[in-house]
Amino acid sequence: MVEFTLDGRPATASEGELLVHAAARQGVFIPTLCHDDKLEPYGGCRMCVVDVEGAPRPMPACATRVAPGMVVSTNGSTTDFRRTLTEMLLTEHLDPNPGGRPNELTDLAQELGAEAPFILPDAKREPYEDRNKLMGYEPDSCILCNRCVRYTQEVMQCSALSLEGRGGEARIVPTWGKSWLDTECELCGGCLSVCPTGALHEKFLTGADVEESALTKVKTTCTFCGVGCQLDLNVDPATDRIVKVTSEPHYVSNEGNLCVKGRFSFNFVHHPDRLTEPLVRGEDGELHPATWEQALQVAADGIKGVIARHGTQAVGFLASARLTNEENYLIQKLARNGVGTNSVHSCEAT
Amino acid sequence: MDVLALTPLLAELPTERTHLLDNLGRIRREVGPITPELSDALANHMNLRLGDVHEVVSFYSFLQVPVTTYRVCTGPICDCAGSRKLLEQDGAMEVPCLGHCDLAPVATRGDTILPGGEDRPVTYATSVGPALGLEQADESLTDYERRGGLAVLRALPTAQRIVEELKAAGLAGYGGAGFPTGLKWESLLREPAPRVLVVNADEGEPGTIKDRYVMELRPHLLLEGTLIAMRALDCPEGYIYLREEYATARARLLAAIEELRAAGLLDGLTLDLVVGAGAYIAGEETGMLESMEGRRAMPRLKPPFPTQFGHLGRPTLINNVETLAHIPAILQNGGAWWAALGRDGSSGTRLWSISGAVARPGCYEAPNGITLRELIDDHAGGATEEIGAIVPGGAASGILPPDALDVPLTRDALREYGSGVGSAAVQVFPRSYPVLRLLSETMRFFAEESCQKCTPCRIGNRALHHLFEQLEHGEAVMPRWQVDEWLLAMEKTSICGLGQASPIPVRNAMRIWPELFAPLDGVVST
Repeated sequence: MVEFTLDGRPATASEGELLVHAAARQGVFIPTLCHDDKLEPYGGCRMCVVDVEGAPRPMPACATRVAPGMVVSTNGSTTDFRRTLTEMLLTEHLDPNPGGRPNELTDLAQELGAEAPFILPDAKREPYEDRNKLMGYEPDSCILCNRCVRYTQEVMQCSALSLEGRGGEARIVPTWGKSWLDTECELCGGCLSVCPTGALHEKFLTGADVEESALTKVKTTCTFCGVGCQLDLNVDPATDRIVKVTSEPHYVSNEGNLCVKGRFSFNFVHHPDRLTEPLVRGEDGELHPATWEQALQVAADGIKGVIARHGTQAVGFLASARLTNEENYLIQKLARNGVGTNSVHSCEAT
Repeated sequence: MDVLALTPLLAELPTERTHLLDNLGRIRREVGPITPELSDALANHMNLRLGDVHEVVSFYSFLQVPVTTYRVCTGPICDCAGSRKLLEQDGAMEVPCLGHCDLAPVATRGDTILPGGEDRPVTYATSVGPALGLEQADESLTDYERRGGLAVLRALPTAQRIVEELKAAGLAGYGGAGFPTGLKWESLLREPAPRVLVVNADEGEPGTIKDRYVMELRPHLLLEGTLIAMRALDCPEGYIYLREEYATARARLLAAIEELRAAGLLDGLTLDLVVGAGAYIAGEETGMLESMEGRRAMPRLKPPFPTQFGHLGRPTLINNVETLAHIPAILQNGGAWWAALGRDGSSGTRLWSISGAVARPGCYEAPNGITLRELIDDHAGGATEEIGAIVPGGAASGILPPDALDVPLTRDALREYGSGVGSAAVQVFPRSYPVLRLLSETMRFFAEESCQKCTPCRIGNRALHHLFEQLEHGEAVMPRWQVDEWLLAMEKTSICGLGQASPIPVRNAMRIWPELFAPLDGVVST
């Protein structure tokens, strides 16, 4: 435990804790734009600078670890710096809302009363077009916080986005400006989940006029595989349809990370062909709704019939990739003990 | 096709990431400009992510252009000398200061420097100097030894003794920041060995030519200083990070290193040259470390300082070329001797790069504490035009009015002007060169060279460039109070010296020539 002083009051932090976290636990919120708990401290946007006694200049709270006896002030001169830095970022922030995602920069600008005094003559960046249907990128909304690139490097360990160039020409692009589909990108959408301004966004939401704050979040478990990622279905209350899928950094098992299926493959939920109840094929050759008891009975009878005619080795079990380890265990139990066959497989194995 | 040409070369290229910049430089020279395909092939060879190499290639100015590109210096001195004319040539590339301001305007094609844009020899203008002796070039190690060279290295005092002498001398780093060298060495000694030495030879501060003079005229002197540091501070590994544009210095250093190796003076040590690829910010010490480790030269957050966590995390001493070159003389004659060379309360001598509207632009060793008038009149042959403004020590050091000609050039005396000695690159601008143009060009330089990492530097410098360009037309894009706020935010919240120092010349000019900024007072609000 480390003792320090925060805005004139005694405070404590754990060993090596970042100032921004320690302050948050004491109820002092320090705004950040380039910081993300999943990533290594970066200290680029400078929005979180605070005064630390004895330091020659303000220190970034997102990259400074609390030291014993540190005297920190978050409400002195540094609040003016926040407004100035926000003004600066606005001078090249041409498109504040490309994909309906919340924009941390414009929210901050509103709170601080910051406006751009002018637009930089070189603010306009080359537009980016990509043939994938899931993720869009609006370079004119990017504030070069580099969160997305660092996410691909530090979390996904892949090469999908790069921070290209230097000075006013610096910009974020998919590696060598290729289409994402031609990079190592797996379209997991992690980059857009960390983007503070919506420059990276769900492409299918472009022009959809969706306000994230109006959506209802329904927490659930992803059904696509056994990992059990926790996610939020973002439902539009007006239409009762899922608009997009998000996940929170504190969710167990996936820590807010998702794969392309979990984040983008939710359309099946509303698909007219989706099965919502058991169906049994009748004498007429058509499928008819049935109860689970009826359906399972039909399946059991069918298996028993095959065993009676051809023996137990004629039966095999193929388990769905969506099952968990425990469910797969039960399937092999059913196959080996219940039926007496060793022909059991899960498509997760391939 | 170019990837096929790369295949035989690839087998020779080391795969450690620290060799990335070097590998890219070799591919550029031996195969051609780095294309995405070449970059990807190298990334696969070195087992790096494709994007990591893409990020590095795009960061440096020269990796994607042919070696033979005609590069024109657009630094303020060359701009003032009419370098815009040279840009009219087909395929000409604008580059920041090439470090040959004494020959302005300059261009280069490949490794050849073209003074005035023409193919004529590079000349040196210098004077007799007590510590560095640049007046006479050393052609070989024999030349150097004949003048008393290597005496200190061959009878090396203890590290403690050296630190004491450096402190007695009052030697402060000549790269621009002026940190006391003795203290830096002492703080390195507190960290565990083995340590690393990096020589900062990435001279790039506009107007500064001194390190080039040392390396081209007396390479062995720099190397003796370097080896003294490596032996005394237990640094088995040493690196000289040299800017790409200094081809002559590169050749001279490589030859001199071979001579020292043959003489057995490198036994037990490795001393390698790392050649940059066109990025001013790689001269910032932590940017340099990042560059050497095969990443974009984006400065690190400090603390920790390089002496604590430097090259590959090891304790690292980074010293400027000129700083190290002074050390043999200091140890030979004693710190007190060297200190007494200074004037007006300052210690020692230093190299003053003088360029612009003077008769004999060049690089002169003269005491710290000398005045601008003495430098211009006694060393550089006098002014050739009525002086309008003087930049005393590189782009970020500030701007002085002509009435400062008799102020001693010391940190304390210049503080009154809100300016500093910086890298001692005195640039004399004639009255005919508009101050707003000087400011605008200076800010353009900073904007283009900003690594982009932090907001105040990345946007602040571009905004100031825009502001001064508009002011040249008498238009104000923001009110004065807001300019002041932005300057303060740049100074206080930028990560490294680039953004922290670029407000200095702006504030100087606003104070000296308030009438130029009058339009800013007319803006009521935004």
